[in-house]
Amino acid sequence: METVAVIFGGRSAEHDVSIITALSAIIKPLELSKKYRVEAIYITKDGAWYWDEKLKDLDLYKSGKIKDFTRKNQPVSLKFEGGLTLVKSGRQGLRKSSRKIDVVFPAMHGTYGEDGALMGLLDMATVAYVGCDLASSTIAMDKILSKEIAIANQIPVTKFVKATRDEINQDIETVIKRVNANLSYPVFVKPTHLGSSIGISRAANETALTNGLEVAAHYDDAVLIEEEVPNLVEVTLPIIGNDDLTPALLEQPLTKPEDFFDFDTKYLRGGKKGKGQGGAKGSQGYSKIPAELPKDLYKKALELGLRTYRTVGCQGIARVDMLIDTKSTAVYFNEINPLPGSLYAHNWHAAGISSVELVERLVTLAKDRFNAQQKLATTFDTNFLQQF
Amino acid sequence: MKNFIKAITVFYTPKTYPRTIVYMLQTTDYQPAAYLKWFWRTQNFNKVIVRRTLNETKAAKQLLIGLYIGITLQLLLGLLYIFLWHWHNLAGGLVFGVAVIISYPIIWAHLITVPLVGARILIVHPKEKAKILASGRIFKKHKAIKIAIAGSYGKTSMKELLLAVLSEGKNVAATPANMNVASSHAIFAESLSGKEDILLIEYGEGGPGDVKRFAQTTHPTHGIITGLAPAHLDHYKSVEAAGEDIFSLAQYLKNKNIYVNSESPSTETFIQPEFNLYNQKGALGWVVRDIKINLKGTSFSLKKANKEIAVKSTLLGRHQVGPIALSVTLAEHFGMSSEQIIAGVASAKSFEHRMQAYQLSGGWVIDDTYNGNIEGVRAGTQLLIDLSAKRKIYVTPGLVDQGKENEGVHLEMGRLIAGSKPDLVVLMKNSVTDFIVKGLKFGGYKGTTRIEENPLQFYNNLGDFIASGDIVLMQNDWPDNYA
Repeated sequence: METVAVIFGGRSAEHDVSIITALSAIIKPLELSKKYRVEAIYITKDGAWYWDEKLKDLDLYKSGKIKDFTRKNQPVSLKFEGGLTLVKSGRQGLRKSSRKIDVVFPAMHGTYGEDGALMGLLDMATVAYVGCDLASSTIAMDKILSKEIAIANQIPVTKFVKATRDEINQDIETVIKRVNANLSYPVFVKPTHLGSSIGISRAANETALTNGLEVAAHYDDAVLIEEEVPNLVEVTLPIIGNDDLTPALLEQPLTKPEDFFDFDTKYLRGGKKGKGQGGAKGSQGYSKIPAELPKDLYKKALELGLRTYRTVGCQGIARVDMLIDTKSTAVYFNEINPLPGSLYAHNWHAAGISSVELVERLVTLAKDRFNAQQKLATTFDTNFLQQF
Repeated sequence: MKNFIKAITVFYTPKTYPRTIVYMLQTTDYQPAAYLKWFWRTQNFNKVIVRRTLNETKAAKQLLIGLYIGITLQLLLGLLYIFLWHWHNLAGGLVFGVAVIISYPIIWAHLITVPLVGARILIVHPKEKAKILASGRIFKKHKAIKIAIAGSYGKTSMKELLLAVLSEGKNVAATPANMNVASSHAIFAESLSGKEDILLIEYGEGGPGDVKRFAQTTHPTHGIITGLAPAHLDHYKSVEAAGEDIFSLAQYLKNKNIYVNSESPSTETFIQPEFNLYNQKGALGWVVRDIKINLKGTSFSLKKANKEIAVKSTLLGRHQVGPIALSVTLAEHFGMSSEQIIAGVASAKSFEHRMQAYQLSGGWVIDDTYNGNIEGVRAGTQLLIDLSAKRKIYVTPGLVDQGKENEGVHLEMGRLIAGSKPDLVVLMKNSVTDFIVKGLKFGGYKGTTRIEENPLQFYNNLGDFIASGDIVLMQNDWPDNYA
């Protein structure tokens, strides 16, 4: 039986979302498949790694007992020797246990995980892992960089302005002037690297823009300011695959521009913002699946989503968010999320792929990519050193 | 060895063992014979409480307190013998004391049944007997049409369907839920106003002579026999014996006003020329046409001479056509209008866990876990054939109470499942699993078979296994006392 290690938590504003993704959408279906031994690796908010069966229990985190756990247990060590091996000392430091990992399933959202940092580590360890690689994760998690790459590949994006945290902190007026000169209100202000809609705000005037910039700069060192799309329908498309892509269904969040898709709407209220309706659990129920669009527009958005996934170089799984002006039928790439919260399992269910099948396919895709990479030559013999 | 020690330890765990004993009693409805049978069959008392927990009713609490007091007294007695051996040289005191202490789990597992048996003989039985006698007088005096519904399966569904249809135009009273034994009939009789037009009385046969006794008490004017299949075979011993009892209803009615489901193959040998037969082709001279079945329900029309009634029901499956046809034609026979009949059929709802369809993770689940016989499996697998889906999944633990016919019934079950061509068959591991697997093989099943060791885990996480385009049919239940 193959061993799959699920890594979650981490030094990220989306630490808690990651726990839900790992426990409910990844570990549970992986175990239900009965095809894998599943190891849970939890990274604390200050970056310590732990490996234990108990880490699969949501109550440990909900009750706050995780603090006792981390105090009483030794962090795990990683050994990079012919792959990745977990090594753990017993409580008295006497009994050591170790486990060789066949596939890693990163369940990290945001910084030090979804942004490519973890993928770099896993590449160094020479172990197969699920999802986007270092390069595509880095691009995807940088909203400015991904838009610039999209523009270079003739993928339409909305008009935007970028600003650094230093600019905002030291001379916010200049940033506001730049926005006023290039964009029309209302605008959206977004931290460049965060997902799950954290730190995002909508600004209809300069006062709101000032607040929005300060909030975004609190979370990130770079900030994106972009124009709102008129006659907006927001859609999102989860996709899996390496070379052969399988899209789920275009999903349309049921939000108005004034109560856009923020963290509360997605994860806490269980439905349309302010009403708490539309679904019992998490991100399910706040959207229409499939999105209600004319056939041609649906097809156009679907194709743009797939093209963007390929352009950014995503593999395994990602979710492409798009903005549609229904009047002009223009479709814009908005952002790409290399690890959708809870894998967007609700959408895959609607598309005919169960949670168990989804994680099985993702593990297979990870192995396929890894095996293909192992066939590539990364070194060659030279007489370079002999010349010295 | 580790498991053996664990299994022994549970006997001497004060927190667990008494609760396990009371749970077993509660699960077997405080029937000492069924409880003791289960007790002696159980190999690991750690695995008894699986599907639910002890419901701490007044009776359960009293039994628990009684057990704790009894066990404590026995332990004290054992210690007293050891004390006397140690301090007063009582001959054999040590051996006897230890024996008294270690034997308490076995002793109290049996002693606990004494108050139950006593209360049943001294209090419950005399009271029930008086009530049943009184109910006989009430039923005899009542002027209503009294329809008795008997059969190995489908009784409650038939009764609920008739209740829904006939209530649109008549004052109808029916025995509640699946309360279908003499004591339930007595409670039902007490609740009657005397002004009802029609009484629907369900007969829940449990052993030889039951149906005859029910008929003698309830004085039916009409009888419906919903089908015959292996059920309660621990008491009836054979399907023929069960048939003799069920068809004693026809003898009581002198073969008049008897309606028999002729789709049940086992009824064939009992059918008399005077009987009215119903099936998916029709009933009482009415002919069924244009049957349509999907996940929303069943629709068809009934035609006789120039009259036609088109009905739509939310009840699922081809096997519902016969009962609906009988309900419609009886209602028409009793003088109800077509409008009333159509509204009545539309209002009939499926009973809990009986072909109940609901959506989960985008797929459709048909919950037929109440079913417990091979005819239900035939109906379920036929439904699976009738419905179209991207992926069909059949889930079952098998059937309980099949007596000597256990192997044959489960081989047949496997064949029926194979015939419905599901993509995936999920079997809950137990003593009949191998028979079903063999039946699947005989039936030429080519799909995937998955055997689940932990049924609860599977049921609780079903949503993770399915998605849009899937149809999951879950049939039969396997309570803890059959594990």
